[in-house]
Amino acid sequence: MDTTTRHIKYQADCDPTFAPAIKAIPGCEKLDSCIQCGTCSGICPLSIYMDMPPRRIMNLVRYGFKREVMNSNTVWLCSACYACTVECPRQIKVTDVMYALKQMAIKERLYPKRFPMVVLANQFYKMVRHRGRMNEIHLVTRLYLLTNWFKLLEMARLGIELIRRGRFSVKPDNIERRAELHAILDYEKRYPPTEAAPK
Amino acid sequence: MTGIPNTDGNGRRGAAGEEIRIGFYVCHCGMNIASLVDVAAVAKEAAKLPHVIVSREYKYMCSDPGQEFIMQDIRENRLNRIVVAACSPNLHESTFRGAVARGGINPYFFQMVNIREHGSWVHTDAAAATAKAIDQVRAAVARVAKHRPLERRRMEVNQAVLIVGGGIAGITAALNLADAGKKVYLVEREPTIGGHMAKYDKTFPTLDCAACILTPKMSAVREHPNITLWTYSEVTKVDGHVGKFKVTVRRKPRYIDEETCVGCLECISACVFKTPKFEDEFNEGLGKRKPIYIPFPQAVPPLVTIDPETCLKFKTGKCKSPCETVCDRKAVDFSQTEKTEEIEVGAVIVATGFKAFDVTRLPIYGYGLYDNVYTALEVERMVTSSGPTGGEITLRDGRVPKSIGIIHCVGSRDKKTNRWCSRVCCMYSLKLAHLLREHTGADVYQFYIDMRCPGKGYDEFYERMLDEGVQMIRGRAAEVTDWTMSPEEEGKLVVRVEDTLAAYVRRIPVDMVVLSTGMEPAVGADEIRRMFNISCSTEGFFLEKHPKLAPVETATAGVFIAGCCQGPKDIPDTVAQAGAAAAQALALIDKGYVEMEPNTSYIDPDDCSGCKSCIPLCPYHAIAFDEGSKKAVINEALCTGCGTCVASCPSGSISQNLFEDDQIFSEIEEVLSHV
Repeated sequence: MDTTTRHIKYQADCDPTFAPAIKAIPGCEKLDSCIQCGTCSGICPLSIYMDMPPRRIMNLVRYGFKREVMNSNTVWLCSACYACTVECPRQIKVTDVMYALKQMAIKERLYPKRFPMVVLANQFYKMVRHRGRMNEIHLVTRLYLLTNWFKLLEMARLGIELIRRGRFSVKPDNIERRAELHAILDYEKRYPPTEAAPK
Repeated sequence: MTGIPNTDGNGRRGAAGEEIRIGFYVCHCGMNIASLVDVAAVAKEAAKLPHVIVSREYKYMCSDPGQEFIMQDIRENRLNRIVVAACSPNLHESTFRGAVARGGINPYFFQMVNIREHGSWVHTDAAAATAKAIDQVRAAVARVAKHRPLERRRMEVNQAVLIVGGGIAGITAALNLADAGKKVYLVEREPTIGGHMAKYDKTFPTLDCAACILTPKMSAVREHPNITLWTYSEVTKVDGHVGKFKVTVRRKPRYIDEETCVGCLECISACVFKTPKFEDEFNEGLGKRKPIYIPFPQAVPPLVTIDPETCLKFKTGKCKSPCETVCDRKAVDFSQTEKTEEIEVGAVIVATGFKAFDVTRLPIYGYGLYDNVYTALEVERMVTSSGPTGGEITLRDGRVPKSIGIIHCVGSRDKKTNRWCSRVCCMYSLKLAHLLREHTGADVYQFYIDMRCPGKGYDEFYERMLDEGVQMIRGRAAEVTDWTMSPEEEGKLVVRVEDTLAAYVRRIPVDMVVLSTGMEPAVGADEIRRMFNISCSTEGFFLEKHPKLAPVETATAGVFIAGCCQGPKDIPDTVAQAGAAAAQALALIDKGYVEMEPNTSYIDPDDCSGCKSCIPLCPYHAIAFDEGSKKAVINEALCTGCGTCVASCPSGSISQNLFEDDQIFSEIEEVLSHV
């Protein structure tokens, strides 16, 4: 170790706009009511893999630790099972806060490069938006190509086997009348929803 | 029914010459005793003992049928002594004494044997436990034969009550008792009643204004015909005992005639000091007052007071005393001297309150070093519209704070200062956070160890503060410093803390620091304690007789405690406790008499050598020395039967009823008979 880094937090390290922006997103209003009881972390089936338990994320969000929250894997591990939201004694929609954080991270590109969770989310969205349906083999292939193509070689045998047995379809799936779906989805582009002004 | 006399008048002889006929009863206590002790064997052995006429066992001796056995046997078998082997006498001695008395014999012709707490509950060997129970029974049977009839004594009770301390506890107790028609003397050390509560702005969790709810009660005290209010006064001496305390009160001169002053305050404006110059104690030193002053506009009584320490008339004698000339009622009286009042009361309620922790004991928080570090009480005065700043939150340099840190547990939960939790600090800190935000719009940080909000509406208040955006940082603030490490910290105070929930060490720059101080026993609590013979816990708070079942009584009969002198508590609890103390005092004096247990000590004057060794040993000050006869005299009304004097008397001239030498020796002989 040739350098010593500062771990103490100055108030200047916090982003005062972070909490208001998250709280402005519907579902996240009650963030301030958190009493830091840890029920969310205890009930979370994935907290065993998280570098910060959801409880800590809640605390860091409301007091403006944006960089720290965005550097954590917690939001990306959240599988949206909603157990925390169901159990929270203050009825905070913890899962909604996780979604809000994911959205913010994607919008502001605040995630590790080639981070598979984000690539998966983006590719999934692109595919569904374009075709109206999702095709597993195409999605998985794109995910691996964009993140870790070595992994693709590893998984190739399993993929071929699945195709051979008819579990994966190589043909892209399309819905009928795709133009209508595009029209619906483009509506939002033409008439963007007014953004709630952060406090 | 035989002619056993209940008493011969002096309560120490009686029943002499009568044939002794003992009834013995052993209780199963369900299975509590019978599961280990062979109760049938105990009854069988007891039947063989001398003078035992009846020996029975029964499932529940304390039940109505059990008691009926005793009464019936006394009548039918002409019994004149009863022994019951059952649970602890603490539980049922009075029950069985009652049954014995209803059966027609003196209730002190009774002895109880504890074979539950001293037997079945603490042993595992059934045979040994049974043998022990039989030994205990044999001792009791031998002892009860030596018992003498005794009478409980009655003593008249004075109908007045003294209340020491005029805070919300004293005020509440005084009004309750006065409304019940009792004479109340309320003695307060300060020039006004109201105590700490009068200094507060709003009260948690409802945020109702303290003055709005307190001042009507203060005026009610002043106007109540049954209350004699002595402010600026202190209790200096207490003599006597329950039902008849003789109390001396010193009344300090305020150099104002209390009868004629109407509180017009003309004299204050006339004072030669045109501007207030001296530290104002009521405003925690944040404001200034003149030598002639009134603590606050709603003070009760609404009288001005002259402080001889600062008044020029007293210091130099050269003042033209415009205060005296301007008063058209001639109420200013520089010749006033200290007065002493002597009163007699039946009961006393001590409600001397608390003192806030002295923050200079914790230099790490920078109080006195940095101008913008305040105590909670100072901020309390500052947010009050009638306070020194008129409700404006301005720092000592005139700025309005944009960020405020409130540090909890200052002088609490800390073995280096006070190890207890003061119970109210979390809540008042949250309240101050609300008020400070309301007044300034500042960001407020709470530095807390644990958020303790138990009480009706308290946790809801905490949630409300969370929702209002008060930042909660869990961690004991380590230090307050003006040493800056980043540009944003310039000109600010920095609180260093480990945010244990965020798991970061943080530096939080703030404009103002508020120290939430804990509670300590009031100044002078120790003298009060000695005067009224109240014991205290290690921290100095007055000790109640029982922490759960006798929370307002003390070990001294007739002395009750209420409010923070007993331990830190908030206003609702204080008022509830004051009401309880008033009810207990009322129950005592309204009955008109007190009944005393007869197990008191008595001195045989022929044997007493007058050595006085017993006198300082008596914890209840019950022994006096009669200069005429040169003998010690025990005041039966004060004696609680602790036995200390009996054991200490070098000439063996002191005996104790129910614990006479022959009774105890016969008991010991029987216990050891098979050794």
